[in-house]
Amino acid sequence: MAVKDLNLQIKDKEFFVLLGPSGCGKTTTLFAIAGLIKTDAGEIWIGDELVTSAEQGIHKPPQEREISMVFQDYAIYPHMTVFDNIAFPLEIRKTDKNEIHERVTKTAELLGVYQLLQRKPRQLSGGQRQRVALGRAIVRRPKVFLMDEPLANLDAKLRVQTRTELKKLQLELGVTTVYVTHDQVEAMTMADRIMVQRDGITEQIGTPDELYNHPSNLFVAGFIGSPEMNFIDCTLTEETNGLCLDAKEFRISLPAKLSSELKGHIGEEVIMGIRPEDLHESKSAVSDTQENAVRMTIDLIEPVGPYLLLHLRKGRVSLVATIKDTRSRAGQEVLIEMDLSKMHVFDKKTTKALT
Amino acid sequence: MFLLPLWTDITTSFKSIHDIIYTIPVQPPLSPTIEPLITAFNIMERPLLNSLTFTVVATILSCLLGSINGYALTKIKFPGSNMVFLLFSIGIFLPYQAVLVPLVLTMSRLGLYNTLAGLILTHTTYGITITTLLFRNFYGLIPDSLIMAAKTDGAGTWTIYRRIILPLSLLPFVVAAVLQFTSIWNDFLFGVTLARGSEAMPASVALANLKGTTEFNWNVQMAGALWYALPVLIVYLVLGKYLIRGYMAGAVKG
Repeated sequence: MAVKDLNLQIKDKEFFVLLGPSGCGKTTTLFAIAGLIKTDAGEIWIGDELVTSAEQGIHKPPQEREISMVFQDYAIYPHMTVFDNIAFPLEIRKTDKNEIHERVTKTAELLGVYQLLQRKPRQLSGGQRQRVALGRAIVRRPKVFLMDEPLANLDAKLRVQTRTELKKLQLELGVTTVYVTHDQVEAMTMADRIMVQRDGITEQIGTPDELYNHPSNLFVAGFIGSPEMNFIDCTLTEETNGLCLDAKEFRISLPAKLSSELKGHIGEEVIMGIRPEDLHESKSAVSDTQENAVRMTIDLIEPVGPYLLLHLRKGRVSLVATIKDTRSRAGQEVLIEMDLSKMHVFDKKTTKALT
Repeated sequence: MFLLPLWTDITTSFKSIHDIIYTIPVQPPLSPTIEPLITAFNIMERPLLNSLTFTVVATILSCLLGSINGYALTKIKFPGSNMVFLLFSIGIFLPYQAVLVPLVLTMSRLGLYNTLAGLILTHTTYGITITTLLFRNFYGLIPDSLIMAAKTDGAGTWTIYRRIILPLSLLPFVVAAVLQFTSIWNDFLFGVTLARGSEAMPASVALANLKGTTEFNWNVQMAGALWYALPVLIVYLVLGKYLIRGYMAGAVKG
């Protein structure tokens, strides 16, 4: 798996997430930072230190980089006790015995595994093993934490709980963290900044807010957010009172701001994107001539708990909307209002965002 | 039925020549005597000691080298490692007879002909093919992330072997050791070729020499066989339970 033309600067103390579907090159990127694989080209700096340079033939082995890593399968040493596992990185560095004892004890207390110190890994649960792996990573106070899907093997409830704890821990320790995941919720909740990768190519780098509200292309728009953003194939046409998105089944007149942004693309095939929470059921019984509203049929209503998931259809266009509550039933028609200020428009050919 | 040869061996070992003539083999001795055992031991003492020395040393060496090879072949991916492994595998199928002449020539040039060191070198070299295969297969089951974790924890190649790989290798070591011990102990061909009639003569050759006389002192031969079988028997009794666990480990874990 190759990663191409990656240019990335991670700030001090930042929680940086590499996000993407499996096989996108995020783990490769992480391993390159760790020094576990050699790069074919380019440089990697950790702090002021050049650790990798293919051109200058520099490749510092992982043990000489000030990093520590947490693996998806935890990779704790099965023949050692929890104490020895956490102490291992210190022992390798010939740390003083008393200091090892003190630091391991402190780390274990911090992670709530103090009472498990004499146990062997096979006597631990998944969550406890994960903590031990984390303990081993933080005990030597590295410059950078590298985490490769550390929560992927935990069950759903524990994952959410650990997610919060991990984020708190990172803030507390103030160590720069590079975190790999394919779970966009994990990325959104934990990250200061996220890099979305696909097939070895960087799709977008930004804060969770930027990625969510201003996705730079179709892939990021579809990948971030759950339920997924709705996409509708349209043609951009010009009307007397501004620009208009023509989806054949319905037309949306664009407000002045959007119109001026899209002026150069009249007549082009575009994809309109709108998130499920930006669709609302129109309360006022105005006619469907309203410029941002479409009359649609409800196919199915899925109660999720905090909201309802409405599956809507009009001809070949189907949309998903999250709505607080509705009196309508499946099979009925409703008037759906779109929040045009939250709308995205993408070029169909390049998939790049036009707004 | 399976134990009948062993039984016969034991009964005959305790018989005088008179008893051998007047009883059938499976019959217990009429007047048990340990005379044959003592006679056999006196003849076999030195060869047994020889065998024990080179078998133990060659077993340890071939296991250790096999383990290091297995580690290198699975966890340090170097260019051409598959080719190296292929060559090792071919070594397993190399028949002893095919190498006898070059072996004798090499050993005599090295000045190791008729010495224990020569036997140790030969058996170790022959043994590392099969031990390498064995350890390689076992180490294939150790997840790579464990090695990567050790690397990021700061351990170098050798430390990883000593601190992570070796402590996890008890089972393959037992399997390889039993395998090597029995096969080196039982070897006759290398022994008879490299150390016949010398101070370094192995027990297997000495045992064969017991029947070389014109007399038919079967009791002494049987007693010799009993002495000869003893170490292997002990090895199996002591390590047997680990051996079974070792076989199972490969089967279940993968």
